[in-house]
Amino acid sequence: MSLSKKEWSIAIEIVYSIAIALVFLPFFVHNQATSFERADLIGTLTEITVFSVLYFSIAYAVLELSHRSKITDDERCDMIHSKAYKLGYILYEIALLVFIGSLIRPAQAALQNGGVICVVLSLLIAISTIKSVYQLYLHRTL
Amino acid sequence: MALKNNVKALRTELNYTQEDLGKRVGVSRQTIISIERYRYKPSLELAMKIAHELGAKMEALFYFE
Repeated sequence: MSLSKKEWSIAIEIVYSIAIALVFLPFFVHNQATSFERADLIGTLTEITVFSVLYFSIAYAVLELSHRSKITDDERCDMIHSKAYKLGYILYEIALLVFIGSLIRPAQAALQNGGVICVVLSLLIAISTIKSVYQLYLHRTL
Repeated sequence: MALKNNVKALRTELNYTQEDLGKRVGVSRQTIISIERYRYKPSLELAMKIAHELGAKMEALFYFE
């Protein structure tokens, strides 16, 4: 199965989401009941930022070296973008309801900010992954 | 009724590759592949550009079956 440059760039986004889920999400899952001070989070946020910058720099540099041709964004790409982002928008609306639900659930004690970060990060990763997988699926099948 | 086309037949007659035709009409090779496989229905503008590049009339290039 050979992927076009556009499809590889989407695959890079999917791998990034999975990597964030595997590398950084467990920290927040284990510390859901923790009330973080701002200083506690600076280290983790710096790690995520450095990881993201390094990951995308290396991944796109490798992509540019392996695929010299320029990505042509045409009407088919626009249509696929529209469909994928429409799905993403619907998922964000559902995620917002899930987030509000997690804040007001009566049986639980109030969420600490560790729990809030965990819920938000999980939802963002899930939405981003689903949107990108759908986008890749459309590129392969349309 | 499904929209079909003769893009592949006319393109190969003219010895254009999918890449060539894509460049001439300003779209990617993947878009030409999708059109030839009837997966993607091009806009009127793109359909007219393809017809122009292949020297064919629109009604000969795109048809309902």
